[in-house]
Amino acid sequence: MNTLINAVKKVYGEHKVLFLAVIVVLLLILPFLGFKKSTIRIMCRILMYCTLAGSLNMINGYSGQTCIGQAGFFCIGAYTMAILSTRFGISFWILLPLGGIMAMLVGLIVSIPTLRLKGIYLSIITMGASEVIRIVALNWESLTGGSFGIKDIPRPSAGGFLVDSPMKFYYLFLILAVIFLFISSRVIRSRAGRAWMSIREDELAAKALSVQTSYYKASNFMYGAFWAGICGAAYAPYLQYIDSTVFSLDEGFNILSMVIIGGQGTLAGPIVGSALVNFLTEILRPVGTWRFVTYALLIIIMMWLRPQGLVGASDSILAGGRIKMKSKSKKAAKESA
Amino acid sequence: MEYILNQLINGVCQGAIYALMAIGYSVVVGVTGMVTFTHGEVMMIGAFASFYIFQYAGSHIVLGLLGAFAASWILGMLVYKICYEHFFNAPRHISLICTVGFSMLVQNLAQICFGANKKPVLNIIENRVFKIGPVRISMIQVAIVVIVLALAVLLTVYFNRTRAGMALRAVSQDKSAAYLVGISVKKTAMIGNCIGCGIGGVAGMLMAIYYQTCYATMGSTMSMKAFSSSVLGGMTDVRFSALGGLCIGVIENLGITFSSASFRDAFAFCFLILVLIIRPHGFSVKKGARP
Repeated sequence: MNTLINAVKKVYGEHKVLFLAVIVVLLLILPFLGFKKSTIRIMCRILMYCTLAGSLNMINGYSGQTCIGQAGFFCIGAYTMAILSTRFGISFWILLPLGGIMAMLVGLIVSIPTLRLKGIYLSIITMGASEVIRIVALNWESLTGGSFGIKDIPRPSAGGFLVDSPMKFYYLFLILAVIFLFISSRVIRSRAGRAWMSIREDELAAKALSVQTSYYKASNFMYGAFWAGICGAAYAPYLQYIDSTVFSLDEGFNILSMVIIGGQGTLAGPIVGSALVNFLTEILRPVGTWRFVTYALLIIIMMWLRPQGLVGASDSILAGGRIKMKSKSKKAAKESA
Repeated sequence: MEYILNQLINGVCQGAIYALMAIGYSVVVGVTGMVTFTHGEVMMIGAFASFYIFQYAGSHIVLGLLGAFAASWILGMLVYKICYEHFFNAPRHISLICTVGFSMLVQNLAQICFGANKKPVLNIIENRVFKIGPVRISMIQVAIVVIVLALAVLLTVYFNRTRAGMALRAVSQDKSAAYLVGISVKKTAMIGNCIGCGIGGVAGMLMAIYYQTCYATMGSTMSMKAFSSSVLGGMTDVRFSALGGLCIGVIENLGITFSSASFRDAFAFCFLILVLIIRPHGFSVKKGARP
């Protein structure tokens, strides 16, 4: 399997521009190939989860903090959009970044107590925060409609062009995913991205190299939460109806498993994970509850056979190996000895 | 005032169950060194085992206790084999995700096998109410507190007075040092994990008796409680975990006195977050507690 992946990577590396162009063209003409409406809905979900799982991947994969409660940030974005657009009729295009910013602020609040915490304490705080957000959304009836949820969220429109069919939403989610991937691919190559990765590899060493770990950890959290909020803000008008059951912990685990199955710490991982998981959910729909059994088995098998995910490199720190000295440096050590 | 006193009593009783869950949880985490998400499902299996025993083998609480313990012990072995044994040297998140997958598996299999609807648990303990001044205490509450205390004492004796218990503590402190003094680490870790799961199963049974229902998805809320209680106590320390469970039970019941019952879970988490801001390792005084 590894040789196959390496071969694919080699071919991809040689014809990168061509590949990307073909993929973009394919994605652009995909809705016109005469699929049923339900199939296009699945594609919408896949693209939406690409961004959402990608935002979690920014936290889990790039800075090594285990966040489980991504559904909470998602929830904040969706409710921001739903409340402000139904009550005050504010335009979608203003609320889209606003949903992201709201989620980002919540991300900041969540990250402040987590700065002193590590590992599992941090996961539990994020999980608890996500549950608290959901419980507040369920019980604050005057603001969020309680268990009845919010109905009739207006569709976005741009200059008379109303985004109302799944096909048009497909393009909306596609644009979001492309923007997310572009910005993220720039960010992880920047100073901040390298700082995040150094924290993931070894926090103490990063500190010794004068990386301000708490600042970068908080910024990492805020970046991930921002994109989750934007996803929520874009998803609410697509569903037109939201209530708190959409944002339960299971949703958080769902997003997490997409990242894990696809491969943490790679940009392509969440895309593969989202496509695979959503595809499986649809295929297994006829078998009812057994679908979750299959899904759970898939996660366990994945952890046994390929813990770094489908796309992840086998020599990554996430694959279970320790950081190995390269043979070159060993040789150098021998020579100097 | 009377109402608050009664809520306090309810809180202590519920806190006792949470304490038992948290004890089981921190035994598992301490011995294996890895965090588990399956504890809720283990408790659910314990509750169902006692439910079927009460239904078909006779309604005696000791029978149910043994059945719940045994059933969750077996599930604990499965959890150990699938989620821990291969991942001792791997990064922590791998076994964590594995336990998430396993808990989904057990929960959905339970929904298929036992049915999705709630099942009424037989009334095992005579429903009598004692009145001490303004305070009302039911027989069930007394029984629950007694069982929890007895188990806690048994566990303390086992950990501190027997050879096997000391081996368990050695493994939870340092695995390689335990190897060096001739302890079979893998076997001890499995037994410790199973003991933790068994205690969790008993806690699940008590929960089922207290609320008189059991259902396949009851594990998720219970695991949250076990989780937050043992985090409050510093994850690996048994006594502080029990204290954490008690605190969360009392805080919850006092909290819902002043607001609606639907905020129950929010109180537990807010309290947890507040405590962790002040003391990042919970109540535990041990420096460098294992994350």
